[in-house]
Amino acid sequence: MGPVAFVKEYWRILMIVGFVGFALIALFIPGGIVADETLVDDGEVEETPTNLEYGIGLDGGTRVSAPPVGMTAENIDIEPGEEHEVQSTLYSYDYENADLEPRDANVRFHEEPPRHTAELFSNDVTQAEFAAALQEAGVDATEDDIENGVTQETRDEIIETIELRINEGGLDGGTAYEEATLGGGYYIVTEVPGMDPDELRELLTARGEVQIVAYHPDDDGQQTNTTVLQGEEIADPGSASYDEQRDRHYVPVSVDNTPREDGTSPAQDYQDSMNELGFTGEGQGQCQIHDRAAGEFHFDHDQPQWCLLTVVDGEVVDAHSMGGNLGQSMASGTWVNDPSFQMIVPTQQDAHELSVNLNSGALTAPLDFSQEQTFSLEPALADQFKLYSLIIGALSVLTVSGMVFLRYRNPKVAAPMILTATAEVVILLGFAALIRMPLDLSHVAGFVAVVGTGVDDLVIIADEVMDDGEVSSQRVFESRFRKAFWVIGAAAATTIIALSPLAVLSLGDLRGFAIITILGVLIGVLVTRPAYGDILQRLLTDK
Amino acid sequence: MGYFDVPEIEYTRYSNRQLAAVPLAVLAVALLVLSGSFLVYGTPVQLGMDFAGGAELTIQTTSSEEEINDAFSVEPDSIQSIQAPGVENQYTVQFAGIDDEDAIQELTGQAEANLAQDGDAAIVQQESTASPGFAAQTQQTALLGLAVAFLGMSVIAFLLFRTFVPSIAIVVSAFSDIVIPLAFMSIADIPLSLGTVAALLMLIGYSVDSDILLNNHILRREGDFYESSHRAMRTGITMTVTSMMAMLVMGISAYLFGVELMASIGIILFVGLAADLMNTYMLNMSMLRWYKFHGVRS
Repeated sequence: MGPVAFVKEYWRILMIVGFVGFALIALFIPGGIVADETLVDDGEVEETPTNLEYGIGLDGGTRVSAPPVGMTAENIDIEPGEEHEVQSTLYSYDYENADLEPRDANVRFHEEPPRHTAELFSNDVTQAEFAAALQEAGVDATEDDIENGVTQETRDEIIETIELRINEGGLDGGTAYEEATLGGGYYIVTEVPGMDPDELRELLTARGEVQIVAYHPDDDGQQTNTTVLQGEEIADPGSASYDEQRDRHYVPVSVDNTPREDGTSPAQDYQDSMNELGFTGEGQGQCQIHDRAAGEFHFDHDQPQWCLLTVVDGEVVDAHSMGGNLGQSMASGTWVNDPSFQMIVPTQQDAHELSVNLNSGALTAPLDFSQEQTFSLEPALADQFKLYSLIIGALSVLTVSGMVFLRYRNPKVAAPMILTATAEVVILLGFAALIRMPLDLSHVAGFVAVVGTGVDDLVIIADEVMDDGEVSSQRVFESRFRKAFWVIGAAAATTIIALSPLAVLSLGDLRGFAIITILGVLIGVLVTRPAYGDILQRLLTDK
Repeated sequence: MGYFDVPEIEYTRYSNRQLAAVPLAVLAVALLVLSGSFLVYGTPVQLGMDFAGGAELTIQTTSSEEEINDAFSVEPDSIQSIQAPGVENQYTVQFAGIDDEDAIQELTGQAEANLAQDGDAAIVQQESTASPGFAAQTQQTALLGLAVAFLGMSVIAFLLFRTFVPSIAIVVSAFSDIVIPLAFMSIADIPLSLGTVAALLMLIGYSVDSDILLNNHILRREGDFYESSHRAMRTGITMTVTSMMAMLVMGISAYLFGVELMASIGIILFVGLAADLMNTYMLNMSMLRWYKFHGVRS
């Protein structure tokens, strides 16, 4: 037999052998089919016997899902350049139950298609009030124009911020993504290995807005607050640092000095306001409100105070006066050329949080934890689950094998049946390793379901082929095999249809189950079941 | 050990009415159970935390079950001790239908404060919570998923056979295959969870297999009705019983290990497949026989 004839004769069997070989390489050879450089460089990759990736359901960790708070008015009719004005009307409007801050309103221009949207991030404002506020800002909008939810851009920003935060926290492998729900809503899902739900919730709850507020005497000698620097105006925040000489914790930062259209820059503005407010002159060193030993602030003082307050989410973290060197360079106007300084905070913890907040930026909209879902698993229990999955899977395969042997009594029929069903699982596992699908318990349930449907179909093939006694010729075999295949194809189609809603809808755990089962059915119909037919034919016709 | 053989049933001894009566009666009882439960509790099946809001904790503690019961401000719906090899002092505690979001979040803290630690293992090993708002959303999504899956299956059935009676036979038995395990859940007090919904959807796929097989053998093959049906049964019953055994083993072992998702998938599929045996070989069979011998051919 020539090689071409050989391939023609055995192509189905060759295909299954090829697939299994491919799957085994993907599963067991380190690096697998697609060598991933980023993983090799990282010396911390855990040594595991396979290339399978595990989700938090089998590896431990925490997942929190919650929707962003907010509502949106789409397609508002405003002129370019009016955005800022509308935004400030929106947050300063007198809402009945809410006192909004600048960050709670957002007016955006979208490129594609060109349009403006206005968003309000608060649960305490009604849609009617939002519409009224828009009207006050000169925008023609009614309650009907307002929808719950925030824009795609806002969600993207939230996800980016969250990812920065979980990675700043020094935790590898954390991810954030959005998941659509029925009715057009979205959940933001955050998954972090090695964090408990309370920690993660805290990280997600903090809005992370950093401000530097000047606390200074105004023209009448009354103390007043002026916001002089916003977190987003800081261009290049460093990480938490410690100054041994002076025993203090700080975050090195530099202020954005890229010029705007009118020639000013945030750094220039900051320098100017420091000079105007007297921080670099009479106020230098004049800040006594911060009792560092007790960690308290006292705003009942006799002398006028010039303090720079570091404020995170409305809470004063630190207060100090302008330092000598910094003050001089600002007074002489040279600071703006190298606009950097140290943000000093009381503890290392504060420095770390400040650095995370500065680096990740503020969450554009907060998350609504009244609609959250959490899942959390300790790594110890996760290890048990891996073992259980293996036991449960093995027991199911054994049961199926036992039943098949009891039914057919003929090892020629039963043994290839079990081998084929196992090959299906191996191919699926290889596929999962190849595409780095993180496996959870639901996927394991899917694998068991695949063994179940797989054997069902093999039983159909075996019964059909052995129907009416001996399989005498190739032609008889082919016709019987085709008949069997009609049933298998029809059954596969219904299983895929029945499970496809789960693969698409956001039903958490169930998506993995559905995807594995559908993939398993496809691999079964296209690869393994035809091969079983071939094997059976060789064994029964004694060719 | 005896071999597993599919028995031959003397269908000629029973009329179509007699054959159909049993599965229809069971279906009627199941519907009665579900509507009764709906009238009394407001839902046909008890909703688990995925659909009603609440929490499920897996805890490791040396405290007794009674102490666990008293440790929380909300009384747990169930406390189940996990029986796995090499594992002691682990329990799954479930709370469903808590309306108050804050109360859900406080449960972990209460467990940590009021229960005795087992060595240096964390007390709360696994925590899964859903707020009522999230759960309501999940419930809608799951209902839609079930409806779409059922509709899709019906369309495929009609496309495959293109005649009314055999196709509707498939749809009716699939419907009954879902309703009977639901009624079983209602009686056995198994709450509806994501796992059980997956099982119900899977059941649509599995149950149609044997129906398609039967219809195919009877309608598309030459030969005597009883002979065809016997052949279909030999294959179909082998398939279904094999799957039932696999699911039973998975269900029982997962239950003992405290893996809720796989346990419910296994148990519900087992019950559903048992219902499917009855529905396929009594209800579907009688409809096909009626169609073959008395029905109007289109």
